[in-house]
Amino acid sequence: MVFSSLTFLFYFLPIVLLLYYIVPKKLRNLILFISSLVFYFIGEPKYGIVMIISILSTYLHGIFMDKYKKHKKKFLVSAIVISLLFLIYFKYTDFIIEYINTIFNRIFDLLNLTLPIGISFYTFKMISYIVDVYNDKVKVQKNFLNLATYVSLFPQLMAGPIVRYSTIENELENRNHTFSGFSNGVMRFIIGLAKKVLIADVLSDLIGNFNSCTEKTVLFYWIYAIATTLQIYFDFSGYSDMAIGLGKMFGFNFPENFNYPYISKSITEFWRRWHMTLGTWFRDYVYIPLGGNRVGKIKWLRNILIVWILTGLWHGAAWNFILWGLLYGILLMIEKLGLLKILDKLPSFLSRTYVMFITLVGFILFSGVGVNEILENLGGLFGIGTSSLVNKESIYYLISYALVLIIAIIASTPILKNIFLKLKEKVPKVINILEPIVLSILLIICTSYLVDGSFNPFLYFRF
Amino acid sequence: MSEKQKDITITILFIVTIIGVFLANLLIKDNDISISERRKLAKFPKITLDSIFKEPLSNSIEEYAMDQFILRDEFRSIKTFVKLNILNQKDNNELLEINNNIYKMLYPLNENSVVNVANKINNIYNTYLNDSFNVYYSIVPDKNYYIDDNSLYLKLDYDKLEDIMSSNINSNIKYIDLFDTLSETDYYMTDTHWKQENIVKVVEKIATQMGFLDRLSLEYEKKEYDDFYGTYYGQLGKELIPDKIYYLTNNTIDSAVTYNYETNREAKIYDIEKADSSMDKYDLFLSGATPIIQIRNKNATTDKELIIFRDSFGSSISPLFTEAYSKITLVDIRYIATSLISNYIEFKNQDILFLYSTLVINESGSLK
Repeated sequence: MVFSSLTFLFYFLPIVLLLYYIVPKKLRNLILFISSLVFYFIGEPKYGIVMIISILSTYLHGIFMDKYKKHKKKFLVSAIVISLLFLIYFKYTDFIIEYINTIFNRIFDLLNLTLPIGISFYTFKMISYIVDVYNDKVKVQKNFLNLATYVSLFPQLMAGPIVRYSTIENELENRNHTFSGFSNGVMRFIIGLAKKVLIADVLSDLIGNFNSCTEKTVLFYWIYAIATTLQIYFDFSGYSDMAIGLGKMFGFNFPENFNYPYISKSITEFWRRWHMTLGTWFRDYVYIPLGGNRVGKIKWLRNILIVWILTGLWHGAAWNFILWGLLYGILLMIEKLGLLKILDKLPSFLSRTYVMFITLVGFILFSGVGVNEILENLGGLFGIGTSSLVNKESIYYLISYALVLIIAIIASTPILKNIFLKLKEKVPKVINILEPIVLSILLIICTSYLVDGSFNPFLYFRF
Repeated sequence: MSEKQKDITITILFIVTIIGVFLANLLIKDNDISISERRKLAKFPKITLDSIFKEPLSNSIEEYAMDQFILRDEFRSIKTFVKLNILNQKDNNELLEINNNIYKMLYPLNENSVVNVANKINNIYNTYLNDSFNVYYSIVPDKNYYIDDNSLYLKLDYDKLEDIMSSNINSNIKYIDLFDTLSETDYYMTDTHWKQENIVKVVEKIATQMGFLDRLSLEYEKKEYDDFYGTYYGQLGKELIPDKIYYLTNNTIDSAVTYNYETNREAKIYDIEKADSSMDKYDLFLSGATPIIQIRNKNATTDKELIIFRDSFGSSISPLFTEAYSKITLVDIRYIATSLISNYIEFKNQDILFLYSTLVINESGSLK
């Protein structure tokens, strides 16, 4: 089930909210766990059992680590291996078979497995929990229901943010429910819904028109690149906003996942603003354990490359994802070796253009299917493989989507947020009246798009 | 409004809205059909173990939720308004509205599809016909053809479409060009079809080229049937003035009957009974879509017969040919395989007309 669906918004959510707030406090985690299983089961009937086994394994390993402290390293390794085995089996087996077939010229049959939704996210959450227990950063969770609720919590089950156990350890057992928290949650949820339905899905139609176009021009390649870059941001950050908003409705405070990445002046800054919970996860559970930057230069560069190859692989079992990760790994190394100092001295306009160009190229690599398509879409930006700059079709789509693109570009910067905060400071009473009105209008418009829409799952569900 | 009041307002507004809509959807009886969209609506899926594991439940439940949502038509209108008027997008579900006239954006040209139509026609010719038959083909332009070439909107390369047809079709089949005979006012505002009351000039042109003009009076009485909300009306989701359906008749047409080979039913040429009960009022003409239907002219002064291979545009033009023939048989190969036609029709020197719109020619996958 996706958040941006009528089923979720007008069937699942009202039932869960009613049950959650009606039952006594001690039963609320049970309601969340059961509703999370229903939420998962409706969208993914086959693999709910995989998630439950993974949770049980992590839970038992935590208990054993606590009980047999002398052997806790063995239990840590065992817990991580089991969690990763599930992930590797479902996500990477066919990729590995294809690779072996290519190298050894042998033909093993592909397994053609379906990837259980959210497995990359819940695996990382469980690893963070077990590593933190091992490092004594958090206490072992002896109540299975609480741990299961943490892992399967439906607001962030399928596409993050990757909430650390330590972040919501206290909230799992004792959380506050206030009008302020709930209304903030509603606001975040509706804004996220609008990002997804009114921008990301609309741009997805534009990308669909590009893909079905037979006479692509340079202009259309650029429209495609810009639309893809914006679509991925609004799709994923929209989901994160909805997840954070839902969390607040149930009394949880999830970490932020995006902080206007497209205003970054370097790739280093970009990755501090994009998918922040994934970045910090790799920093804390891979980069720092490898030695981080407190090692020799060669090892330090090796650590960066390892992290970024893994980041690419995490996004998908395909070479374009690995190359995408490598691209960022190499750029980050170059920046750290000196480019950052140069970028600091450049006018903001130039450094931002550099980041946006890399981001466009990166997302063409990221979203392409096959080498030919990626090379065609990259070459098309510079007129390679196409003879015309513009034609009637590309102008039609540019004009038809111009306002959506402009709104998306503005909304990907903090301009609107800053205006809102300034107005709130100057005329708080007026803004307080306008807020519920604007949110209601957005909800009605989003609902109208959903009623007349087609099914559009979130891009990050496939990771 | 204080911060606290605002928080309480937002909380209550949201909860009341989602629970209210949930209850309304639950309590209001499901509809079987959507009149504006002219289609059956999804019902709540039957949940069995098999169905659950075949396809995620979320897909079928969402389809049901979309179709049975309260005030569905009103919400669809809101979306159309936002898309066209606020976000300034040029089309909604590939439908354009220019001066209250709705167009379906037919684009780009599907060359393979055009070749496929030519091959289908050649196949019928090679299987059932020979050079002793009087055989013609004609193309009905969709109304996009009449949108100003200098406008922003995308349209087919119609010259190329005609060229592909003529270079692929058997040279014994003669072409009747209708592109310059029609104009955009000859089509309904809310529908894809041409208006019968405006196509007497088309009848004259076809009759002239096929040589039966002398058997036609071209005198008809124009009668009003009803308001007409065409196919595009529901798809666009915008309040517009409905069209009116008129039909042309005379004594010959009044006394003629149709015989439907699928239902073995006789009916009047203008089937008011069928149209009254149908979601599509265009079913007035020859009772709507069917594989084979025959117009039988009881007052015929000739034994000449005509066979028209056609799509839905043929339904409204063929009654106007009635005076010139004793029988007119209409075959729609979207609903019957070409190889089965001989089970119903004996080919014996009838006049033959292939009449297809650019809508079908550019998306001809349904031709059997």
